Amino acid sequence: MTSFGMRRFKRDPGLVSRMYFTMFMLGVLYAIFAIVLWGLSFPIIFIGVIVGAFALFQYFMSDRMILWASGAKLVTAQQEPELHRSIKRLADRAGMPMPKVALIQSQVPNAFATGRNPANSLVAVTTGIRERLTERELDAVLAHELAHVRNRDMRVLAIGNFLVTLTSFLMTMFFWSMLFGGMGGRGRDNNGAAILVVYLVTIVVYFVGQLLVLALTRYREFGADHSGAEISGDPGALASALAKISGQLANIPDQDLRKLQTANAFLLIPVALRSGGGASLFSTHPPVEERIRRLRELERRMSFGMR
Amino acid sequence: MARLFGKRPQTRTDWSAMASIISAEQKLMARGEISPSRRGGLIYRNDESVPFLRNLKQELDPVLYSGPGATKTAFEIQDDEQGMRWIVMEDGDFSDLVSSVYTVGNAMGANGAASNLLAAVFELYFTGAVDDNSFRSGLRTYWIYRYDRQSFYPFVPTGDATGERDKPTEVSLASRARRQGMVIERNMEEWMGLWGIPF
Repeated sequence: MTSFGMRRFKRDPGLVSRMYFTMFMLGVLYAIFAIVLWGLSFPIIFIGVIVGAFALFQYFMSDRMILWASGAKLVTAQQEPELHRSIKRLADRAGMPMPKVALIQSQVPNAFATGRNPANSLVAVTTGIRERLTERELDAVLAHELAHVRNRDMRVLAIGNFLVTLTSFLMTMFFWSMLFGGMGGRGRDNNGAAILVVYLVTIVVYFVGQLLVLALTRYREFGADHSGAEISGDPGALASALAKISGQLANIPDQDLRKLQTANAFLLIPVALRSGGGASLFSTHPPVEERIRRLRELERRMSFGMR
Repeated sequence: MARLFGKRPQTRTDWSAMASIISAEQKLMARGEISPSRRGGLIYRNDESVPFLRNLKQELDPVLYSGPGATKTAFEIQDDEQGMRWIVMEDGDFSDLVSSVYTVGNAMGANGAASNLLAAVFELYFTGAVDDNSFRSGLRTYWIYRYDRQSFYPFVPTGDATGERDKPTEVSLASRARRQGMVIERNMEEWMGLWGIPF
């Protein structure tokens, strides 16, 4: 469950699950590798160095891995002059270096930024989001992504994810040591109860860690909305972009209430069946509604010259 | 997953849900976001076998105009092209308008027509600018209260044909109204339109 430096604008199950799967498989690879080394009686320090080297490799190669996992293709200023011009203008206004620009051939409206620091960053958009949004809205979305880069959110998330991966790795180790206690002929004290306690603690730490990383992500999302709006100067455009691509609009029916077949069941349908808001602890992004509300508030304040 | 830590569904009375438009209207008015409006109504499926509905005009006179709850709300009964009947009401005082609509709906419900009630509708005019608050200026929006859902949602038709509505505006209006405490239907799939509202 690592997603080093991966930031996205909107939940897109296909894209996101591909990325997560890739990162997850990398995590599994680490774990298997480390366990094999451990099983072969390599010293724990050596294993730590190897795993650390892997993590660093992943950290520094994250751009390329994410490009590969998301199917994004880098585009030059010649290929996409308008996109480059917009990003250049916004990056200048934000006082940061020009990031690399990538395009994803997908109808799903989405955008993300990645990179360990502003000098090595990348902003990617799908062809779908470019078609659906107005120029102002797209600028607001790009500014939001640049804000993630400027706030160094990928690094924050990478560190959080690394800690979570580390605990999950330890968890796996303990699990195997429980199953095959004393594997490798080390003759250690095989205190089953102690191992079990440590194992349970690791599980709790792992899940709490996951929740914290997700909470952190949601918090950084509000931050990027805010500083992105300052970069673009247009919080309202981000709000309408969010409303447009969040899929909410697709839920509004084209039907007439008078055509409702269940009309005779009126007053019998329990109110308790009403679907709730369901702000979940497990989501990486805050509810779109809440983000739009805050952006509209910011728009109001900015229009009166206040920040 | 979403339900696990989500809010518990709340039970509320009919009146508190419908009355939420009164305080929301006052707040939006105070913020200069809407201009005064005074019309609302009820849509129901007529059924001549229900005596109350058969003589609705005569039945509503005492309900609205006598006793301690007497109001000045004017009403008119109209049929629409889709075979439904409307009670269109007008009152200079928005909270009186809402309570009259509620009272009429209640009276119908108490007299064997509960399952005929479809929705109550109120109009609100959203102004673009703070200084523009002349009577009924700005964007005309309808707020539909479905009796089966006990909640409001916005409806901004862009034409008379079924399906013609301004969805982005509806989404943003809904969040503005919810911020002012209006009970808004959370499931947008239930935001059915009513094209050709007779007011």
